[in-house]
Amino acid sequence: MAGQTLIPAGDFRTSYAVDTTVFPTNTGRNAMIIGIGLICFAPYVLTSYWLSILIQIGIFGIAALGLNIVVGFTGQISIGHAAFFGFGAFTSAYLSNRFGIPVFFCIPLAGVVTAGVGLIFGLPAARLKGLYLAIATLAAQYILLDFFARAEWFTGGSVPASAEPFSIFGYSLRGDRKYFYVVLVYVVICYLLVTNLMRSRDGRALVAVRDHYLSAEIMGINLTKYRTLSFGLAAFFAGVGGALYAHYNQVVSNEGFGIERSIIFLAMIIIGGIGSVMGTLMGTAFMVLLPESMEWLSAALSGSAIDHALGLKNNIAFLREMAIGVIIIAFLIFEPDGLAHRWRQIKAYWKLYPFSH
Amino acid sequence: MTMKTLLGTASLALLLGTIAGTAQAQIALGHLADYSGATSDVGTPFGQGVADTFAYVNKNGGVNGKPVNVDTVDYGYQVPRAIAQYKKWSGGDKVAAILGWGTADTEALTGFLAEDKIPDISGSYAAALSDPTGAGGKAKPAPYNFFYGPSYSDALRGMLTWAADDWKAKGKPGKPKFVHMGANHPYPNAPKAAGAAIAAELGFDVLEPIVFALTPGDYSAQCLTLKSSGANYAYLGNTAGSNISVLNACKAAGVDVQFMGNVWGMDENAAKAAGAAADGVVFPLRTAVAWGGSAPGMKLVQDISKMSDTAGTAYRPVHYVAGVCTALYMKEAVEWAAKNGGATGENVKKGFYQKADWVPAGMEGVCNPSTWTEKDHRPTLKVDIYRMKVSGATDASVADLVKNGTIKLEKVKTVDLPRKADWLGW
Repeated sequence: MAGQTLIPAGDFRTSYAVDTTVFPTNTGRNAMIIGIGLICFAPYVLTSYWLSILIQIGIFGIAALGLNIVVGFTGQISIGHAAFFGFGAFTSAYLSNRFGIPVFFCIPLAGVVTAGVGLIFGLPAARLKGLYLAIATLAAQYILLDFFARAEWFTGGSVPASAEPFSIFGYSLRGDRKYFYVVLVYVVICYLLVTNLMRSRDGRALVAVRDHYLSAEIMGINLTKYRTLSFGLAAFFAGVGGALYAHYNQVVSNEGFGIERSIIFLAMIIIGGIGSVMGTLMGTAFMVLLPESMEWLSAALSGSAIDHALGLKNNIAFLREMAIGVIIIAFLIFEPDGLAHRWRQIKAYWKLYPFSH
Repeated sequence: MTMKTLLGTASLALLLGTIAGTAQAQIALGHLADYSGATSDVGTPFGQGVADTFAYVNKNGGVNGKPVNVDTVDYGYQVPRAIAQYKKWSGGDKVAAILGWGTADTEALTGFLAEDKIPDISGSYAAALSDPTGAGGKAKPAPYNFFYGPSYSDALRGMLTWAADDWKAKGKPGKPKFVHMGANHPYPNAPKAAGAAIAAELGFDVLEPIVFALTPGDYSAQCLTLKSSGANYAYLGNTAGSNISVLNACKAAGVDVQFMGNVWGMDENAAKAAGAAADGVVFPLRTAVAWGGSAPGMKLVQDISKMSDTAGTAYRPVHYVAGVCTALYMKEAVEWAAKNGGATGENVKKGFYQKADWVPAGMEGVCNPSTWTEKDHRPTLKVDIYRMKVSGATDASVADLVKNGTIKLEKVKTVDLPRKADWLGW
């Protein structure tokens, strides 16, 4: 897909249409269409538990996509992403409660408002790089968190705000089954938008800023504009994801938007593959399923022989947190390019069998 | 380890897990506990009490002969995790009822509980959970929420009533000053408005609230503010863990204030940790006696405690006994439901209305008589105010300290508040 910037020898593009295509092969495109078609049947086949897992993967996938724009494609760093996610959630709840705007419009509106906030906090990005930018985004995280806790007119203060279920022109969609389709539509649209961004002029400018900002500036790319733009775009997707999250839970409390959530977003794109759109979704799925599988493992372990041998008892909950950290470190050491790279290797293995390198 | 063995062990573990899970058809209850989060210092004994009670119930025949399957989940006092867990419990095969915990998550779940018809007896005593029909006008209707004990607001009203008399009895001139201290979080904020209103009514000067976080930390700044404000009575809205930090800091700063805690604000372990700083703190007790007190029901509590402490030597703080009472009320409501149409959520809710002045069987003298009705989910308006007395060094174990009287819970007064309709829900 568009993530590959090096075209190998022998791969000739014979027309502009072929060069700018989203899917390099027909198989890829067909597989994607069939996959989306199959997923549409998920609410009727899966239990509500798995449905909620898929919805979470979709919601966090959109937010992680935003982070991948700023970290993966523009080469900057943002450890305040969860604050924008929360801002989108609170904005959507506020717009639907205070102004009575149907939730259908609140979600994109929340994305736009969050993009504005993201542009403001992205202004330091124009001048700062590396560690200094990381601290500036950390400041954004805490400023927004404090704002959520204090601005009672906006968030209700410390009391969780309530958000309405998804509705369009009075017809409200209740329940996870129907909400799944809302999230699916948003995921498809957002991922197509970002893939399209990456093959457009602005997307290539962002990649140029990442790869060698000095050359990019010499070529005439306005660094300030593109660095700030990437923050704005990241905040837009975070806001949309946050709004979907708010209307899914129907309660927005400012606890889920701390630095831990920001680190989890970073882990999602690192594990999935920095700079890869498909990798974002894979990394999100991995990070959402990781605590669940740790819970199964700890539930299976508790009371068993291993539990008694190690004397774990109540501390199995901490085992879970430790396991999440260990897995992130393991990925950084053994698979720094993420699951997307591993998937490409698997495809290459089968494609070149038995001549894999 | 090769991939094959890894995959093999993982799938085996999963298989064992699922086999263990699919036992015979049972009554399922959900149990949210905080064993690792901001309120884990009090969540651990309360959760232990609930878990031990149901282990005891299952050992002695279960409910109507069927075992009760209690799914205990540690949600770390985080609302999103509680909601995710609730979605699991209210899915295909719903739980019959939930034993909840925190104020923020229970308040967030009231709408869902009412829609899915799952009763929830919580560790949160927020008055907003006690208005089933919304008739009070101050809170959202919470028809499926219950709690055992006086609400935070009623407990504060009781303590302020006592404080007003205490001020007069000490013969101090002028108006006493009252200040609310706590984190900016639904749980400490729950009784703020009610406390300020009744304090003003009783002739207190209500000062600006002071904020300190739920986690232990350095609160000398707050103590200096307290000192310079000249407050006479301060309400501590947080749990024992962070209250200890404030008590120590204020003792070091030489603040002369009568501290009043909420039901979670002080216990024997906190008294041991804070030592002399905890001496004199006034707080309400939900049960008629503490661990080891003389009451016919204490024997049952000790039997239940043996479920997790076979030696019988552990000292259980006041929160453990309250947890046992809470769990037994739920057990008897489920029992009533099973006998009257099946253990569904709706019937369990009706089971809570089964008796007036209800004390669970075998807990006479321990659990206070409670009455829940369709229109009023305040089980009691009697506030038993106790004072924590610490009279020496607290290096020994809690059991020894209580035995030799170094840590003592001294009864101060029982305030019987009127069941006012305009106090419902706030």
